[in-house]
Amino acid sequence: MFDWNIIIHYFPFFVTGALLTLKISILSLLFGLIFGLIAALCKLSINPLLRWPAVFYVWLIRSTPLLVQLFIIYFGLPQIGIDLGPFFSGVLGLALNVGAYNAETIRGGIISVPYGQTEAARSLGMNGALAMRRIILPQALRIIIPPLGNNFVILIKDTSLVSTITVVELTLTAQRLIGSTYKPFEMYVMAAVLYAVLTSSASLLLTWVEKRTRTEARRS
Amino acid sequence: MTSHSPDRTQSTMLHINNLQKSFGELAVLNGVNLEVAQQEVLVIIGPSGSGKSTLLRCVNHLEPPTGGEIYLEGVLINDTTKSRRAFESHLNRIRCEVGMVFQQFNLFPHMTVLENIMEAPIQVLGVRREEARQAAISLLDRVGLADKMDNYPCMLSGGQQQRVAIARALAMKPKVMLFDEVTSALDPELVGDVLRVMEGLARDGMTMLVVTHEMGFAEKVGDRVIFMADGLVVEDAPPQEIFSAPKEARTRQFLAEVLK
Repeated sequence: MFDWNIIIHYFPFFVTGALLTLKISILSLLFGLIFGLIAALCKLSINPLLRWPAVFYVWLIRSTPLLVQLFIIYFGLPQIGIDLGPFFSGVLGLALNVGAYNAETIRGGIISVPYGQTEAARSLGMNGALAMRRIILPQALRIIIPPLGNNFVILIKDTSLVSTITVVELTLTAQRLIGSTYKPFEMYVMAAVLYAVLTSSASLLLTWVEKRTRTEARRS
Repeated sequence: MTSHSPDRTQSTMLHINNLQKSFGELAVLNGVNLEVAQQEVLVIIGPSGSGKSTLLRCVNHLEPPTGGEIYLEGVLINDTTKSRRAFESHLNRIRCEVGMVFQQFNLFPHMTVLENIMEAPIQVLGVRREEARQAAISLLDRVGLADKMDNYPCMLSGGQQQRVAIARALAMKPKVMLFDEVTSALDPELVGDVLRVMEGLARDGMTMLVVTHEMGFAEKVGDRVIFMADGLVVEDAPPQEIFSAPKEARTRQFLAEVLK
């Protein structure tokens, strides 16, 4: 039957694993946002030298599995002299992955802002970058936030894949404990519970952010 | 140029030479020639699709012309000899001097009325915040909306939004103002307030190009009216003449239609 004692006994290991999962999630989220914004702006650029690399990046990431992307970065890159180690390979892989999805989300938000806003900004002498930063992006943000939050919840769950490249986060912690306890049911259930805690907290946080931006949106 | 503006100077503000614009196969402007004097109020009328809005939008280069030249106080606006980067900053400078008001207001919905007006002076001209704020408040006073300064655009009526849009354009201290059917999206009872603000501007000596269907305004405030059709200026005359005795058949036909 379900052995509660063993869970209590090994709980500190789970906390350590969950904290690492959280750390990876936050770092990937941050870089994923930066990658996504850059790729979105490049995809919207009229300059083909910016547009085509961004189109290629988004296509490449979205048409290949995350697991294979992680393997290429962790196992493949050292072969050509780039050895990032398990942790940074994991963060880079996840950030590149979520960045591609963010790019599409952000791009969609930007193009949904009426073109009259750009024209009004430009007619006041603003250059393209200033108009984007002060006028378009703040309006796009409201549209972008809900789907972006969705991407981040998915990202938290996807961090479990970095267990395959030896990062001892939540999933690999569970696996290692199974190796010594032979209790897969307890260990995986415990990991699942902690993932649920992480994703639900993220969702709650996002709902709060959404509500705040929506109140602002109602004023306008 | 007309009886009610005897003191207006005659030096040229805007000079448009053989202006052409096509969208792919569709030719919208077919060689427009136009001179607008300083402090002149030029009203542009004509059927839809005649190129009036396109003409305005070419002046501040929201639409790049396909041919011809536009000069603002002797400076070529569509100077294609410049490098891309130099042309961009040249355009931004020009646009600071050419204010535009749109049919759909296009206020920034995420900013208050005051912030809408202060934004470009601060970000583009580098005006100090407090100074921009004082200027914005006095502009709002001028358009009769000082009590709305902390509201968001969505809380205002169309007519109020449009007056804020006029104040926003004026905040850049432009030399010329372009009005692109600014009352067409308004409920009839709100049109008057906007037109009164424009009339006040004209009285204060602003050079204005006004695309409108408000013939009463054209007659009362305009120094000159041009009638456009098929991307050409068909008739160019003082309002009294064009409304009482239009020379061209196309003008007569159009006026008969709109004044019916």
